[in-house]
Amino acid sequence: MQDKKLHLKNIIKRFGGRKVVDIKDLTLGTHGIEGLIGPNGAGKTTLINLISHKLKMDTGQILYYAKGNEIDISKKSFDQIARLGMVRTNQIIQDFQSLTIRDSLLLSLATAKYERFYAIFSEKRLRKSAEEEIQKYLDYFHFENPDGHALSAGEKKLLDIIRCLMLKPKFLLMDEPTSGLPQDQTDMVIALMRRKTVEEGMSILIVEHNLDLIWGACENVYFMAEGEILIQGPPDEVRKNKTVVKKYMGEGDA
Amino acid sequence: MEQLLSGYFIYMLSILLLFVALATILHMQFGITGIVSFGIAGIWGFGMYSCAIIMIKLNTPFVLAVIMATVLTGIISLGIGRILLNLDDQSVLVGTLAFSVIIEDMIVSESWLTKGVMGYGPVKFPFDFGIYTKLAYFLIILLFTIAVMYYAGRLHRSPYGRLLLSIQDNEPLARSLGKPTFRQKLIFFTFTSALVGFFGAISVPVYNFVFPKYIGPDITFTLWIALLLGARKRVFGGLVGIVATVGLFDIILETVVPIPSQYAGMLYNSKYFLYGLVLVLVLMFRPSGILGDKNRSINIKNISKFEKKEG
Repeated sequence: MQDKKLHLKNIIKRFGGRKVVDIKDLTLGTHGIEGLIGPNGAGKTTLINLISHKLKMDTGQILYYAKGNEIDISKKSFDQIARLGMVRTNQIIQDFQSLTIRDSLLLSLATAKYERFYAIFSEKRLRKSAEEEIQKYLDYFHFENPDGHALSAGEKKLLDIIRCLMLKPKFLLMDEPTSGLPQDQTDMVIALMRRKTVEEGMSILIVEHNLDLIWGACENVYFMAEGEILIQGPPDEVRKNKTVVKKYMGEGDA
Repeated sequence: MEQLLSGYFIYMLSILLLFVALATILHMQFGITGIVSFGIAGIWGFGMYSCAIIMIKLNTPFVLAVIMATVLTGIISLGIGRILLNLDDQSVLVGTLAFSVIIEDMIVSESWLTKGVMGYGPVKFPFDFGIYTKLAYFLIILLFTIAVMYYAGRLHRSPYGRLLLSIQDNEPLARSLGKPTFRQKLIFFTFTSALVGFFGAISVPVYNFVFPKYIGPDITFTLWIALLLGARKRVFGGLVGIVATVGLFDIILETVVPIPSQYAGMLYNSKYFLYGLVLVLVLMFRPSGILGDKNRSINIKNISKFEKKEG
């Protein structure tokens, strides 16, 4: 569909002698929505943390392709990577306790030109330019009170996802995006994701334990166990694969 | 009346205002951004002494000396911030406090430059309006203090303030949204510290002679106690806190209440004890300070009010 977006080469990460991630060669982002599955402790979240540079890898190289440039993001910092268009949502709920939902979204939308210590009169301009975009999301997802704080775990999770989408990422890493969300909200998130991949050419990598979601939403699935990517392919093939069945789903589930 | 305008009272009010400005800057550093700056007295002393030394040694006019002192303080703060701001809160606390103490000790020990405990000066007021000189200078300080508070107030309603709040709340999350948090903290710390240096510099004529005791850690503690007492997250927290501590103890008690002279010394010594007592009581019964916590949930009514004010 598109050019490859992310190329991982010889990535190794050890935690105290234990090899948690060991990837020889992996290309991500060739499809719209891709899934990453695997048993607990397979290294999925660690891999996401390595890509977004929340963790430093021991060896290896990650190449990111944006606007025709090849960028080695293993040398970029956590926030630089986000500015390059590779954004991640969080597995564990994260929030700004003193910001309301709307503030949180405004924070996400505010670019560097609004965020200067002398730019103390730019609030109105920001609100005006952001209004439409924010309203679009607030209409799509229901929040109890957009000018109040996100209260429930579900609201915080949704807010986390919307905050990331506001950055208009080219590559979105989602670590268990729908855990804690009710089914109808999950469906809405996935429908929105699918639209984003088609309309904006965004690539998404989802890490999930909810396999129905993976089989239903993803165009390509990677199976990871013991730090290595063992199988990859369309969901139907991966689903029937013997190794996947044996190591992850259990015999009866196939 | 004349005595009131030119005497001790107006001197104390000037000092009070300077402290309000400092506490408000501390509110911006700690209350908004979460930088645990315990070096504020050292930075203020640095601005103070560099202004006085530049003025007397280099024989420069006052305004130029103030500008140079402000810039110098900014440069020094950039250095401190570069080293410290990436560390965790405890390290920032210890590091900035250490810096403050180093500055004070150096001023005492390097007496060839600073005259040590003898005090450095004199620095006269930059203008002379007879008996109104002190009053005029007081009004200048008032103007700058209001400017700082206005800035802090605007900061609460600006994208930059929102960014700083997000850094205080959850720095990794702010970074994951592409915010260069360390750079922003460094810029803001440098800017606000330069402001502290500026207020140090303009305080010199008020004091006439500057002494190391004006910049000791007890000043830092006073400012911190005042801010926590007032409310660390509110713009007026510093003002309320300083009035309730320095204002109440140093001005009202010392000038208005007639205290028999044999107890006067006792009052000075028990000041910090009383500050501490008040702080404990406030933290017990009103943990976020006298003014309370600032809830950023701006409701629709406030937004329209705010829009009207802007337009």
